Amino acid sequence: MSVATLKEKLRVKPLNFAGVFSASPFGLLILFAFVAPLICVVWYGFMPAKTFDLAQAPTLENYKTIFGATYFKSILWSIGLAAATVGILAVICYPLAFAIAKVFRGGAAFVTYAIATSLFISENVRLFGWVIGFMKNGVIGGLLNEWLGIEVDSLLYNVPVIILGMVYVYLPFMLFPMSLGVKMIPDQVREAAFDMGATKWQVFHRVDLPLAMPGIMIGGLLTFVLSVGAISEAKILGGQKVVTIASDIETEFTYAQNWPLGAALSTVFILLTTVIVFAALSRFDLEQLLGKKSEA
Amino acid sequence: MITSEPILEVNGLSKQFGKFTAVDTIDFDIQDGEFFTIVGPSGSGKTTLLRMLVGMEKPTSGDLLLRGNRINDIPPAKRPTCMVFQSLALFPHMSVGKNVEFPMSLQGIRDSERRTRAFDLLRMLHLDPDKYFNKNINQCSGGERQRVALARALAYDPDILFFDEPLSALDALLRKILQKELKDIQRRTGKTFCYVTHSLEEAMVMSDRVAILKCGVIEQIGKPDEIYSSPRNAFVAEFMGEVNLLDLTIGPAGTPAWNTGQDFIPVELPISDLKVTNEQPRKLLVRPESIRFLGEGETATNSAPVRILNEFMIGSRVQYHVEVNPHCQLTVERMREEKPGEGQVRIAWETADSQILES
Repeated sequence: MSVATLKEKLRVKPLNFAGVFSASPFGLLILFAFVAPLICVVWYGFMPAKTFDLAQAPTLENYKTIFGATYFKSILWSIGLAAATVGILAVICYPLAFAIAKVFRGGAAFVTYAIATSLFISENVRLFGWVIGFMKNGVIGGLLNEWLGIEVDSLLYNVPVIILGMVYVYLPFMLFPMSLGVKMIPDQVREAAFDMGATKWQVFHRVDLPLAMPGIMIGGLLTFVLSVGAISEAKILGGQKVVTIASDIETEFTYAQNWPLGAALSTVFILLTTVIVFAALSRFDLEQLLGKKSEA
Repeated sequence: MITSEPILEVNGLSKQFGKFTAVDTIDFDIQDGEFFTIVGPSGSGKTTLLRMLVGMEKPTSGDLLLRGNRINDIPPAKRPTCMVFQSLALFPHMSVGKNVEFPMSLQGIRDSERRTRAFDLLRMLHLDPDKYFNKNINQCSGGERQRVALARALAYDPDILFFDEPLSALDALLRKILQKELKDIQRRTGKTFCYVTHSLEEAMVMSDRVAILKCGVIEQIGKPDEIYSSPRNAFVAEFMGEVNLLDLTIGPAGTPAWNTGQDFIPVELPISDLKVTNEQPRKLLVRPESIRFLGEGETATNSAPVRILNEFMIGSRVQYHVEVNPHCQLTVERMREEKPGEGQVRIAWETADSQILES
């Protein structure tokens, strides 16, 4: 999309009262619950370290601290874990999404409910369940020892188990948008491709994948944004093996009592996430993603 | 060019869904290079039949022979046939040109040749390639999409092209234009076309031969003028549009009569030695244009008093809906100049213009 067409699309139309009136509750909510706190956080980042006052001379010392220290490691861990999670989820969710959208008939609703039900239980409770499963002499280790006589040490506190936890927790957020995306592929279009001699692989990568891409993209972005800010998986399943950026920020705001540094870290992190998300979005047509172009 | 060689032979083809028989032991041949149309009302099994012919549905029994080779178990991807879907099934994420190139890219045809052939096909279908090649499918009108779908199917270069009533979503005027264009392209490419539609009118315009399907069985198969001039039974006659089918019976006088539901009107039959019995009901087909209004004091062999209910202008002709009695209505079509009299009038038809049909 060129800049000109973007400008064309974003062109401000004359305000109409009914529209403004209807939008005002949401507008106020966004203003006080999102925009205002965001401005506070950004502004706090420019305050001198370890102060709790917004009315001081702005300074860049927090940013100097950030770029001088090893916070980039936490950021890389967060992005790396999130990327791995999104990648694994894309691969394991696609077949299931396809089955829900195109293969299962009555069964689709059952599978959907079964997966959605996991969302009813707190994420932390579920993660502690995994801890019981994976810890030394836990459910898995204990059973292996009892039945097969295999001595297993704790399976916790490593990177793969963190990723496993994240994949498990964020699966529904990838699966459901993806299955909606797959549902948007018209059956006859697939049939037509087969009719003209396409193989299953050709139909998959030349028809299914591009047509399901809006759903896959939304699922991918959703899981990326959620998992890049994840904190519990690394803490509960990973012990202190890996420190994510979200965990660093939390430490600054709580244990370290250095709000300005925490705010500056948050700002850097928000900017980074935004850049990544928009870079991904710019590769796809936003209008098509929102389904406006599906039928002419 | 129509040769007398069958390209596709259908032998005793059946399809059952559970206890329901959608297609019941059908036999017919499609000749090489002909425009063959399967026509039937909704629920007649025409779509199921078509899906079996292209391989998207497995026949329960019977055989499909393409140039003498049995193709029952060959999947659509491996058959040298191609279907134009009712929904057209164009690839919405590809440009017009990429859609047309798609089957050729699967066949491994080189880029430059693909481009040339796509341009030729678009030109043949009256789509200016320079303007349309890079156009988004979603920006094309209904008629343009039809042409793109046909170009894509022709690009596959199939032995037989199947059509699942692709024109049904278009307005009447555009449909008429595309019907003629389709026929024209079939003649120019010499391809075998097998078209499915619910409109006998559409079938008559385009086809070399028409098969009329009812409840999974072929009622009649033949050239359009054969079907028009001698429909085999009442279903075919009625399907052709507005015709009058009179119930034949034996009247009180022991001679053939028209049972109007209230009384019996004696009629003369076109075939004199045919026995009409009450056990085997037959109908008398009298076309609207074969019925005329009688003048004052005029008499005729076959005539009946009627009341005019409505009149409709249809171009140079006027169509009258008349009733013999509240249970029995007829359609009469006359030239605009021939005005019937006022109030009670009499209608009449020549014996030779009527036909006896099995109901």
